[in-house]
Amino acid sequence: MEKLIEELKVKIVEILNLPDVSPDDIPLDGQLVGGELGIDSIDVLEMVIMIEKDYGVAINNKELGTKVFATLRTLAAYIQEKSPELPN
Amino acid sequence: MSDVPVFIAGMGVISALGSGTAQTFEALRSGRRALGPLTLFEVPADQAMAVGAVAGIDAPEPMPRTHHLAGLAADQALAGSGPPPDAIVLGSTTGGILTTESLLVNNCTDPESYRWHALTTVAEELARRCGCTGPVITISTACSSSAVAIKVAMEMLRAGMAGRVLAGGADSLCRLTCFGFKSLQLIDPSGARPLDRDRCGMSVAEGAAFLLLTNEPQGAGALQILGAGLSCDAHHATAPHPDGEGAAAAMRAALEDAALAPQAIDYINLHGTGTLDNDLAEARAIRALFNEGRPPLSSIKGAMGHSLAAAGAIEAVIAALCIQHGLVPANVGYRTFDPELDLEPAAKPLQAPIATVMSNSFGFGGNNAALIVGAARPPAAGAADHTIVPFTVDGYACITGAGHTMESRERFFAGMPCAGRLDDGRLAEGLPPRTIRRFKRLPKLSLALAVNACQGVQADRMPGAVSMGTAWGALSETHDFLRRLAETDQKYPSPTDFVGSVHNAPAGQIAMLLAAKGANVTTSGGDCSFEQALLAADVLTRRAGASILVAGADENHGVLSPLFDASARVSGTAADGGGALLLRRAIEAKGPVVEMIYYRAGQCPEGMAGLVHRLGGAGIINRTLGAVLAGLPAAGRARADEQLTAFLSESRFGGPVVDYRRLTGEFAAASAVAAVMGVAMVERDRVPGPLAGGAPLPLGGKAILLLGLGKFITAVRIAPP
Repeated sequence: MEKLIEELKVKIVEILNLPDVSPDDIPLDGQLVGGELGIDSIDVLEMVIMIEKDYGVAINNKELGTKVFATLRTLAAYIQEKSPELPN
Repeated sequence: MSDVPVFIAGMGVISALGSGTAQTFEALRSGRRALGPLTLFEVPADQAMAVGAVAGIDAPEPMPRTHHLAGLAADQALAGSGPPPDAIVLGSTTGGILTTESLLVNNCTDPESYRWHALTTVAEELARRCGCTGPVITISTACSSSAVAIKVAMEMLRAGMAGRVLAGGADSLCRLTCFGFKSLQLIDPSGARPLDRDRCGMSVAEGAAFLLLTNEPQGAGALQILGAGLSCDAHHATAPHPDGEGAAAAMRAALEDAALAPQAIDYINLHGTGTLDNDLAEARAIRALFNEGRPPLSSIKGAMGHSLAAAGAIEAVIAALCIQHGLVPANVGYRTFDPELDLEPAAKPLQAPIATVMSNSFGFGGNNAALIVGAARPPAAGAADHTIVPFTVDGYACITGAGHTMESRERFFAGMPCAGRLDDGRLAEGLPPRTIRRFKRLPKLSLALAVNACQGVQADRMPGAVSMGTAWGALSETHDFLRRLAETDQKYPSPTDFVGSVHNAPAGQIAMLLAAKGANVTTSGGDCSFEQALLAADVLTRRAGASILVAGADENHGVLSPLFDASARVSGTAADGGGALLLRRAIEAKGPVVEMIYYRAGQCPEGMAGLVHRLGGAGIINRTLGAVLAGLPAAGRARADEQLTAFLSESRFGGPVVDYRRLTGEFAAASAVAAVMGVAMVERDRVPGPLAGGAPLPLGGKAILLLGLGKFITAVRIAPP
């Protein structure tokens, strides 16, 4: 999962075009959405598309999204659990 | 309340419910659900969704589907109504995009095939069909477009600018909207269930509707648009204000405009898309406004889906049918009460006497509109005050290839070309990085214009409203969305690009940055887009002291601009930019005064004589006019040259005429740059030497005329205070 977490950090910064945020600024257990990073609901949707495209994992409703996108760790854990493409 | 009544003299409607008022009413009476699978284009199995498609129509090749839908509904509205309307105001978000999507996928590089792409071509085709030679205005404010179009049309009637206006909207299903809303997770794949506890999204639909509006009294049983209100959330690009503040403001403004109390409303036709956020915000707004005495209410979007820009006009027609037949339509798809909404819609169609209906339409960018349709009533006692204070310029800004306002002005005043494409870094100078992190070219351009035009303006003079013209909208976002959609087999388009692709996204961003919560309008009228924004601003901002930011902006896109914009193609130099004027109806004018004075078809039978007459005739023109800034689009150069020659001969104007596109370059919003240059000349009270053909020419208190030529002839006077 370490590798996945590092990979996600890079992807998030890249697709969301966050100014002055580097991959290492994304905390593992801190608030991912709506906090200091400036990640908002449209960013969440952009991440949803990336996760479905790159990992084959669908996050297709708001309720599930709120849980999965709570922190970087919850996101990585969900992808790890559901992805047909990642070794457990 | 205005003392000019606005009557409905004709109606036409086509949607998933049927064609014409009779079929539509029959479907509403039976409570039929007309949603079905999306089959208009290829859809991967896992992307399937229910939509509200219009059955049994095929647009005659090569006309796009939106144009065809608009033609069918407009013909119904105008049937047997006599001479052509004086003006057309149409709301659309799709234009020819359905056709463009296929052309782009097939790598078509023939510009002729894209000639119906622009939003304005929908209304221009209607004008050609019915012989309208007056203003042809296109409004693109996402899902409130045609409700805003009806508001603009009624204000044109009230202002005496027209006697009969065809107003409405049209949108067809297309990949951009279907897969765009899907990427935002706003689609209920099995069909919308507005207001239901278990609702999970909307259903995209298509359709068109038009109303022939007139100030001429109609026979017994006539209906009127009694009032309309606009507002902007200035909150978020797509999500409504959670408490429905903007929605409530629009409803309140409509009631005030109609001089009615909430108790006068017999039925509320909800926007009710079926998304979690929209229905909640709308419910909160209604609860705040109507307290206990809530009238019956329902959304018809569970029956026919959400036809986007057409929805406001379709629902205005439905409001009229409800009054005529005493019907509250069912909220089809609704089953379970949602305690959070605390609204109980009509589960079945109800028979009830109805005299007055409120109809809501809200859109992306926080664009809200509410209309009130009701039985005709006698004109208000005590005529309203008709003195309209002219617009004074409180601030301005422009962008060209040369840079921002100062650099552009220096080049322009030196008679040197400033055509080009300013690089992205300089374009966005001074804009907050976090705000613009998702922006591509047009929103950056627009926001920079707005911020610079309002620089140093005192707080109480900041704009309360925004009116922006753009011929092509956000080309980069549109292009990138469609490319990724095609590359990923319709599966993984970018939601960010979809949000940014709507024509009114930049104006919505301006509203957010400036906290402008009044009307927020985006017009799209080809080379006259800026003039349309000015016209809309003029009719929507009547109160003394009111301020509005009027802008025109267009981006040049390497792939799409040469395909879409014939003038850009002919010129061969990639150019873009725009201009913005901060205008205020100032009682004591201290700055230049800007007035939209003429807007007619280029082929108008009265020709240039009409404009010369409007300007007061040759004598007055030569006494009051110091210079003409003439816009001659390269693609229609021959016709524009003829028009200019005719103007100069009819008016015998002998002063300098600046062919400004030779300096600004060829792009649709070039006239917005020219307007800013005109303001700067009036401020200095002189025409710079290089533009006057020798020494600087003192204006001596004379005005500048901004003259638009080509398909339409437009004139804006920029005069000293």
